Amino acid sequence: MNDAATALKSAPARPAPRRLDFFAVAVRFQSVIGLILVAIGGVIFSPRRHGSILFLAPDNIANIVRAISETGIIAVGMTFVIITAGIDLSVGALLSLSSVLTATIMTTWGWGLVPTLLFVLICGAAFGATQGVISTKFRLEPFIVTLAGLQTARGLALVISGNQYINISYGDGPGLAPPIFSVLGDRLFNNTVPVATLVFVVVAIVATFVLNLTRFGRYVFAVGGNERAARLSGMPVTLVKISVYAITGLVSAIAGVVHAGQFNFGSANDGTGYELTAIAAVVIGGTSLFGGSGSMIGTVAGAVMLGALANVLQLNNINAALQLLATGAIIVLAAVLQSLVRRREGLGR
Amino acid sequence: MSAAPLLAMRGVAKSFGGAQALRGVDFDLQRGEVHALLGENGAGKSTLMNVLSGVIQPDEGEILIDGAALRFEDPRAAQAAGVATIFQELDLVPSLDVAANLFLGRELTRGGVLDRFAMRRQAKLRLAEIGFDMDVDQLVGDLPVGRRQIVAIAKALAYASRILVMDEPTAALTASEAERLFAVMRDLAGRGVGIVYISHRLEEVPRVADRVTVLRDGKVAGAASPSAPQSELVALLVGRPLAELYPRRSGGRARRVLRLEQARYQPRRRRAGWRAPQGVSLEVHAGEVVGLAGIMGAGRTELLSTLYGAGGPGAWSGTVEIDGKPARLTSIAAARRAGLAFVTDDRRGGGLMLRDSVGRNLVASVLRRVSPFFLMSKAREARLAGEAIAAFDVRPPRPDLAVGALSGGNQQKVVLAKEVLGEPRLLLLDEPTRGVDVGAKGEIYARIRALAAQGVGVLVASSEMPELIGLCDRIVVLRGGRSVAEFPAGAEERDILEAAEASQDEDDE
Repeated sequence: MNDAATALKSAPARPAPRRLDFFAVAVRFQSVIGLILVAIGGVIFSPRRHGSILFLAPDNIANIVRAISETGIIAVGMTFVIITAGIDLSVGALLSLSSVLTATIMTTWGWGLVPTLLFVLICGAAFGATQGVISTKFRLEPFIVTLAGLQTARGLALVISGNQYINISYGDGPGLAPPIFSVLGDRLFNNTVPVATLVFVVVAIVATFVLNLTRFGRYVFAVGGNERAARLSGMPVTLVKISVYAITGLVSAIAGVVHAGQFNFGSANDGTGYELTAIAAVVIGGTSLFGGSGSMIGTVAGAVMLGALANVLQLNNINAALQLLATGAIIVLAAVLQSLVRRREGLGR
Repeated sequence: MSAAPLLAMRGVAKSFGGAQALRGVDFDLQRGEVHALLGENGAGKSTLMNVLSGVIQPDEGEILIDGAALRFEDPRAAQAAGVATIFQELDLVPSLDVAANLFLGRELTRGGVLDRFAMRRQAKLRLAEIGFDMDVDQLVGDLPVGRRQIVAIAKALAYASRILVMDEPTAALTASEAERLFAVMRDLAGRGVGIVYISHRLEEVPRVADRVTVLRDGKVAGAASPSAPQSELVALLVGRPLAELYPRRSGGRARRVLRLEQARYQPRRRRAGWRAPQGVSLEVHAGEVVGLAGIMGAGRTELLSTLYGAGGPGAWSGTVEIDGKPARLTSIAAARRAGLAFVTDDRRGGGLMLRDSVGRNLVASVLRRVSPFFLMSKAREARLAGEAIAAFDVRPPRPDLAVGALSGGNQQKVVLAKEVLGEPRLLLLDEPTRGVDVGAKGEIYARIRALAAQGVGVLVASSEMPELIGLCDRIVVLRGGRSVAEFPAGAEERDILEAAEASQDEDDE
């Protein structure tokens, strides 16, 4: 009888062999591992000048992290949306609209720096929230709603800018922007760290905190993990869904401001395809498009990895077409890894 | 009569990773026999049947059909040999209608074009053959679980030439539907089909089975006669005598937690197959467990979910009182504020975040208490989760494990524990032991009674009549969305069934 009792107790426990744990850990940090591999590859294949490795030159590193700052900021917000099993395609267009707004407001309307930033960021968040409201109230797929949002934002940007570059000149007087704004294109700390990258880092830290340490973050995971269960547990599901689109709207506006500051103009034609780069970074970072799981650190590593990869290929004068091929292959690899994990967990295809 | 049995499985063994799921199982099946295969979750029933239906290949052992050894490389090979399986997780396409599902992969065509007319007609015929009448143009996704089960059975029967495997076919059926299914099974057996019947409902065994085999820990624990007393079967199942499945009642009434008087719910939109409460009168007192009986479509689930504010937009009329005060239960938030908690019958679909950990699931409905100033407190979270795991004896007691990796019974404990953490005044339970094995059932009943003893009012809907009779202080019978009868503890199953199944026609608008 004792035998039987112990057998009964041990029956429901599912054995977890060591090997599987290792695999799961590898996948959990796939983007970090990918980043390390790309970095190693970068060092090996980097062209050298006077014996020094170009890939590791401070200027080159600064270039990489500056180049990814805008899509990185967007990817951080996109992580929230994708964890709720949603998608936001409007981010690139919204970046462009925000850059046009920033330039127009400072030069044509003559607003000061703080009112301009507040206004643009609020507009971005409101634009995103509106998409969230439409998608939840009318039960529409976010894919469709944000696709329409993409067109709308692009259209608004074209109307406001008259399809012209809105150049930003700095100074003190009518038609001139506050000089301090141009700091977004500068580097700090002995001309090493781009300010745009600092913005990315701050956004990423705040987002990591919100996602992992607040009640709201827990709601986001629950809504993506099982929306009905979240609703039945008394969570404000609709509000959470609207909020994550407000977040992508907000980060797109931040990225738009950074864009305007880095290049000293607002343009209705910039930011094309940024939504896809951002989604790629999120997916490579290990966040499931099915929702319910994901990591902010993964997204950041994914964004840096994509930037580093592009840089390595550029340094070796490999053409743009091949860069696209390499990116595609990496996205497929990341997705396959995730699918393998799901299958091991026995949770379907 | 040939000497060889219809089916013989010899020394079947299979391991997954390090876990030995089957350790040399012998199993055979005669022509015209219903052979019940019993076992707790994880005993190896499903693995054995997956081997038989070609879904997985055994490490050792052989399968003989009519004495000839066969190897099933895939489910198609098994089907070709005459083995048809109705899996627990129904292999139906929700976005297709009933007729299309019945002919999935075997569509009738005329000149290369789908012959919808013929398929519809034949689908109707097939359902009628097993005693069911339903609209074959309905989408399977719109059907309640019980109806889907019937479609799945009809589908499998269409190509079950010799051996039919049924994995818990009655789990979602009402008593009368189950009886009809048993009649179909007896009829098929009479025609020489061998049927392997897997069920958790021991009381069904004597009604349908000719023979019983019990699996435990991947081995045959023993055979029994279907007429053996349930206690003998339970002892074989769990490997020790189980003292008492249903706990003792505490008795004694206190204040009235819920009072419904001619309560009806007017949904803003009508939904097919959704029966709104339309005239329910009942009371639940603190410390009392009240059962909701009724056949499928009687509106049990609908009553519970609308009370919980999850019935979609609409309005209550009649009297709905919580703790003696009129309550407006029109949203989940309002119901929770009033002290209600709800455990759905669909724990995978609406109860749990399966990929999330046990701990995170447990605190999902009490996040406010573990996140002062919106910041998650890991310490409070761990403490609450630890308490809940201990109180409900969730095994293994590890809050970090993915909840989807637990057995059905332990998942159900997590769903219950999660709602109990919210300290409800009134707990609404829908099929609290669906798909749960006997041992865990007893523990869940004990927890429910213990909660009642602490002063919680409990309203339980179940399609298992013995469960209601064993667990509840009173049983209210629903029919067509109305409460039609009430029985005290210890009522006869026959009387309750009679009240539940009296002619439905008068109730249909």
